Amino acid sequence: MGRGWRPILIGGAVAVGTFALAQAQVFAPSAPAGGAAAAGDSSRGETVFQRECAGCHGDGGKGGGVGPALFETGLDAAEVSAVVQQGRGVMPAGIVTGQEQADVVAYVVSVSSPSG
Amino acid sequence: MTIAGVAETYTDLVTTVFSSTIAAKAWFASAALILALVQVTTAARIYGKLSFLPERGPTIARIHRWSGRIAFLCTLPVFFHCVTILGFQTPDARVAIHSIVGTFVYGVFVAKVLIVRDHSLPGWALPTAGLSLASILVVLWLTSALWYFTTVRFGF
Repeated sequence: MGRGWRPILIGGAVAVGTFALAQAQVFAPSAPAGGAAAAGDSSRGETVFQRECAGCHGDGGKGGGVGPALFETGLDAAEVSAVVQQGRGVMPAGIVTGQEQADVVAYVVSVSSPSG
Repeated sequence: MTIAGVAETYTDLVTTVFSSTIAAKAWFASAALILALVQVTTAARIYGKLSFLPERGPTIARIHRWSGRIAFLCTLPVFFHCVTILGFQTPDARVAIHSIVGTFVYGVFVAKVLIVRDHSLPGWALPTAGLSLASILVVLWLTSALWYFTTVRFGF
């Protein structure tokens, strides 16, 4: 095999390594045990929601964008956490993380709770 | 520090400047894209094209090298978050294209660096590798930062 193939072979190996690393997701935060969400503050979550989520889910989660309405849909914290962490449809995974995620989850659960 | 703590620390660090990790990636990717365009422009000048630009010489070569180095540095936080935290995903066409093309970015980068240092290769090898790398960065930007700026929000 000629010397000219060396960059392609090494580059290919790097691409395979990248794919393996991506499959491993070595630093991905694991889901909380039992699906329980970390303690979040819904008032702080509202600020984060308006900044990061309202573009797709509408003001207050009432819909109007490319994402579904969340208002009065009866979502629970585990379900919302899973979608925020893993993404769904066109929504990317991890759009908010850490405490902001917990706060957004608390806010979404509060607005999705049926008022009736 | 635990493995989960790495992601938390990264998020804390990034959100001291940006509103979220996704916003940070969008801006780092945009910087890398602009620098990639500088790379293509200066490379074209080095190859004797774009004669309206300043005369080719050490300055153009220096700009080419440093724009490449800084572009590479800009991709590192994006790589870290995309590859080690989010991973390879295919929920829809945009994310699938981004994941597949992103898998090759550092492979093509390494191949390009090796080609630069190997003077025995044919003359078309280096521009081909350079344009491939720039094209990959354009596709990655279109399927991530542009989507974020136009769909989610345009801001830090």
